[in-house]
Amino acid sequence: MTNQVATPLYNKLSAAFESRNAADLTPLREAAFAKFKAKGFPSVKEEDWRFTSLVPYLDVDFSVTAEAAGDAGIQQAVDAAAIEGLEAYRLVVVNGRIHSGLSVLPEPDEMHIGPLQEVINTDAFRAHFEAEDHTGGNSFTQLNTAFFTDGVYIEVPKNVSIEKPVHIIHVNTASVPTLFHPRQVIVVNRSAGAVFLETSVSLHPKQAMFFNNVLQVIVKENGECTHYRIQDNAPGERWVHHTQVTQHRTSRYSNYTFSLPGADLIRNNLELKLDGTATESHLYGLYLAAGNQLTDNHTAIEHIHPACQSTEHYKGVLLDNARAVFNGKVFVQREAQQTNAYQQNNNLLISDKATVYAKPQLEIFADDVKCSHGCTIGQFNNESLFYLQSRGIGEESARKLLVEAFMFDVTDKIEHEPIREHLQELIHQKMTAAMAAGA
Amino acid sequence: MLVIKDLHASIDGKEILKGINLTVNAGEVHAIMGPNGSGKSSLASVLAGRENYEVTGGEVWLDGKNVLDMKPEERAREGVFLAFQYPVEIPGVSNINFLKTALGEIRQHHGLPPLSAKEFLAMTREKQKLVEFDAKLANRSLNEGFSGGEKKRNEVFQLAMLQPKLSILDETDSGLDIDALRIVSNGVNKLRSKDNAFVLITHYQRLLDYIVPDVVHVLYNGRIVRSGTKELALELEDKGYDWLKEELRVSESIQ
Repeated sequence: MTNQVATPLYNKLSAAFESRNAADLTPLREAAFAKFKAKGFPSVKEEDWRFTSLVPYLDVDFSVTAEAAGDAGIQQAVDAAAIEGLEAYRLVVVNGRIHSGLSVLPEPDEMHIGPLQEVINTDAFRAHFEAEDHTGGNSFTQLNTAFFTDGVYIEVPKNVSIEKPVHIIHVNTASVPTLFHPRQVIVVNRSAGAVFLETSVSLHPKQAMFFNNVLQVIVKENGECTHYRIQDNAPGERWVHHTQVTQHRTSRYSNYTFSLPGADLIRNNLELKLDGTATESHLYGLYLAAGNQLTDNHTAIEHIHPACQSTEHYKGVLLDNARAVFNGKVFVQREAQQTNAYQQNNNLLISDKATVYAKPQLEIFADDVKCSHGCTIGQFNNESLFYLQSRGIGEESARKLLVEAFMFDVTDKIEHEPIREHLQELIHQKMTAAMAAGA
Repeated sequence: MLVIKDLHASIDGKEILKGINLTVNAGEVHAIMGPNGSGKSSLASVLAGRENYEVTGGEVWLDGKNVLDMKPEERAREGVFLAFQYPVEIPGVSNINFLKTALGEIRQHHGLPPLSAKEFLAMTREKQKLVEFDAKLANRSLNEGFSGGEKKRNEVFQLAMLQPKLSILDETDSGLDIDALRIVSNGVNKLRSKDNAFVLITHYQRLLDYIVPDVVHVLYNGRIVRSGTKELALELEDKGYDWLKEELRVSESIQ
């Protein structure tokens, strides 16, 4: 109990857990909740939360029981979430539950999609879930395991490669401040391939909402998974995203995390365990933060076996009073020879009041490796600005052009053209709005 | 077209321009020469509106409009173009999109609709040919990885695209090999008309073999100390600047 942030929420959660339906209290949940109880919410005394104090974000009388969703407004929200020009399947998840009526899914023999609850007690699932679950130690994931309802389970059968992306639209219908625990598991089997895009939308924006989301991804031997997440959230929202990826040998995983101004807090934990030889991983991130927003990206890549390759490039632009944290851990174990690990983090501060805490962290125990990391924090280049202005481009447009240019080497990596265009448009809009508000 | 009256400017509290007087009419080409540190590039920067210069006195008029009141982008839209001595590299901004944006804003300022994609493309092709600018470069990031000569040619390509009234070329010739110099000069000569004007800031008389000026000025110690025809440039080439400095010192001590 020494480290915890004591909040009324903690007591509320305890009460809610005690009063749960006995059928729901699996040993897994009980064990998880016991761990959460022992530790509580993380505090700034923990290294991983040093710059992100949760106190102001948890200090709300959140409801801890999700209300049942009516259908009003969901259809419109889902339609509005579609990305122009992107041909995609659509998986609608309302308050953590799959909404079959609004979803447009691949054939079941191409992809199994169902509630996590349905499979969680099967021996087959438990065998690999427990083997792959190394999310221990993080009280948010424990809390999620204790409380998630339904959840989403996606499995791509072996040798099936689906080119059309699956757009997962998370819809939140709560009309009062609520603490949610959405949970997803994605398994890409041997030599299978799939593309996922996650976005979220709230029907009642501008109220305090806390999302404690956990996603586990398992990419089996020679499988390939591309995963985009666009965090275009509403003010008042607080997000803690835990994404746990396990890669088996010769698998490929690409993660794109785009955080835009909006939510009060975004904390992304992205952890990759490279549990096989010759894997390939790409982590690309963009964070654009404005207002009083705090955007915190913690990534960790664990090289355990030889000949794995990971590249990571995160870029951030901060306006107003925004704060950002980037912490990039790369572990290279003794066995992991011929590792190729590259990490880069660049930050552009547009306001005098914005702050960024950047911490690359490499721990290398093998001796035949290529690893590099770089980190920069800079401001607008006035010479570039003047150059653009001297050609007739207005100052505001010039600043926007330069921000887009700064982000270009990440946006350029987006393989799906409509997603890239959508993101560039979002960045443009958000910059315009932030600059208008700041002016 | 351009009238500069007793222009004073300083940077970091140090006075660099100490009373410049200059009149450039439409259709004219003026060359401004002078030794290092005489204020040539500062004059170009002040005219284009570079932020770190403080104008402490004087006036600058472009066709009756007060240039010193305008932001850099407003000057550009009114027709002032500075070809940079050291063009900046901006990775991630495509050369073509940059020009499209710039041209769009300039046209909007003059109440003109944006060019259609087709018109813009046609114009790009024509101007590329005019200044012998490689189409491959036009599609790359702005100046990124360009050689010195390619950057200077890109400046002239931009000049051709934006069609300014007054072009100031700040040492566009320095660092160019003879072929590049010929290409840049040919470009400028083709762009000359009775409606526009050029101010060539140069250290070397060589440029003036290719672009023949109407007037040559010598800038020294923040002032224009002599103006003449193109023969003045030849004289400077022969004798260097020392004799001029000497003469000035003598005349100042007499005063």
